[in-house]
Amino acid sequence: MEPAGPMIHFQNVSKEYENLTALHDLTFSVERGEMVFLTGPSGSGKTTLLKLIYVAEMPDHGSITIAGWDTTTLREASIPFIRRNIGVVFQDFRLLDNRNVFENVSLALRIRGVGEREIKSRVADALKTVNLRHKADSYPRRLSGGEQQRVVIARAIVAEPTVLLADEPTGNLDSETAEGVMRTFKDIHAKGTTILVATHNRDLYRNSGKRIFRLHGGALVGEEVC
Amino acid sequence: MAAPYAVKLALQSLKKDKWINLLSMLTIFSGLFIFSLSYLIFYNVEAATRNLPEKFSLVLYLEDNLTRDNIDEVMASVRSRREVAAATYISKEEAFRELKATLKNSQYVLEGIDDNPLPDSIEVKLRKDAMSSEPVRKLAETAKKIKGVSEVDYGEKFLSTLHDIRKGVRIVGIILASLLSIGVVFVCYSTVKILFYRRNDEIETFKLLGATKSFIRAPFLIEGAVIGASGGMVSLAALYVLQHFVIFRMAAEVPVFRTMLFPADFFLSLPLIGMFLGISGAVIALGRLKF
Repeated sequence: MEPAGPMIHFQNVSKEYENLTALHDLTFSVERGEMVFLTGPSGSGKTTLLKLIYVAEMPDHGSITIAGWDTTTLREASIPFIRRNIGVVFQDFRLLDNRNVFENVSLALRIRGVGEREIKSRVADALKTVNLRHKADSYPRRLSGGEQQRVVIARAIVAEPTVLLADEPTGNLDSETAEGVMRTFKDIHAKGTTILVATHNRDLYRNSGKRIFRLHGGALVGEEVC
Repeated sequence: MAAPYAVKLALQSLKKDKWINLLSMLTIFSGLFIFSLSYLIFYNVEAATRNLPEKFSLVLYLEDNLTRDNIDEVMASVRSRREVAAATYISKEEAFRELKATLKNSQYVLEGIDDNPLPDSIEVKLRKDAMSSEPVRKLAETAKKIKGVSEVDYGEKFLSTLHDIRKGVRIVGIILASLLSIGVVFVCYSTVKILFYRRNDEIETFKLLGATKSFIRAPFLIEGAVIGASGGMVSLAALYVLQHFVIFRMAAEVPVFRTMLFPADFFLSLPLIGMFLGISGAVIALGRLKF
């Protein structure tokens, strides 16, 4: 990725779904190595905003720049390579039920063409980070919601992306596990990863000292440091 | 994508959806087997009719009382034609001798015939490439106009029937081969399409994790290739059984089977043909992937 300017920059971005405004005229930036929170009620546009960053959706208006790359003018063939720099903790997990935890996490590395030996060691490290090394051979359906969420986090961080996006990463977790997940994010952030966490759980960002973007009805209604 | 991982994914899918894959493979086998049987018939008809025209000749009957110079002129005129491979003069005496020899067991036919009723003639052999009804008809018409030629005789009916048979077999063969190829491609297309839809969620996840189109496509192409090639191999095995256990045994009872040719070289390529058709079906099924 190009080392200049903010890591994420939205300029007058709007997105509509069948005449329903999902995001309206958003302009904001997230600096390199910064950790920010995105908050707002359900339906405020948090997930849509994340989808625009990992190019699962394209804006109807405006431009989005990720590490200097304007995603609105990208060639389709370049999209996979942008996504490889972005780790995503999906709200709906997107785990493959017919593959065990090790295989699910390793998928992010196989797609990048990483060798078998390195895959083993990096997946082991990622699972250790989320405290799930003992579940490497388990299948997702055998895991609790919280364990599944941690597998998703392991898959998002295993390839050491420059940007980590988390969509309600503690939605299925008890407060103790949620704290553990946030500690993991802070550790990853400490290594220089840019992190954007979408959540409506105030406990996650209270007294964090990080910037908070507030969304409401698809519009950016506030920005503060908590 | 690491090729071994694509192979692994393809094998996993072949195993997981084994019944649909087996069914597709058997359908492809049926298509290729019918295709092979049609080819077997086509090949044998071609072989049987290929050498028949060599026995074919055009006979130019000459007017009576031509001088040797006149005959030489006619011969030169005939030999100058591009379609003519050889021209042989047969005198009326020689022709009568041959007739007598041919009818030596039926001499009564010639009883009462004192004078030689046969004319002088020229037997014309044609080149292989000119051996079809239209060029031969044109040549006969031209020959008839040569001064000194009274009549031209050739096996018009035989030649045109032979031509029609070969043409018919070829057309039927091409139509059948095209239809069966389309059928095999369609079977592979629908199989891969079904597998693709069944794995749609998985493919979406692959895409969101940064998989390229070739990473997503490779396992499906391998599956198409394996299904097609397997169908081809089973067809090959079935043809082997047909040759060794059916045709060989029938040859003892039915003489026509003794002369039957078996184009083994072509049949050995059936797995490759199946593989090619399988990959073609998969390519069409995958179409244009969107991110």
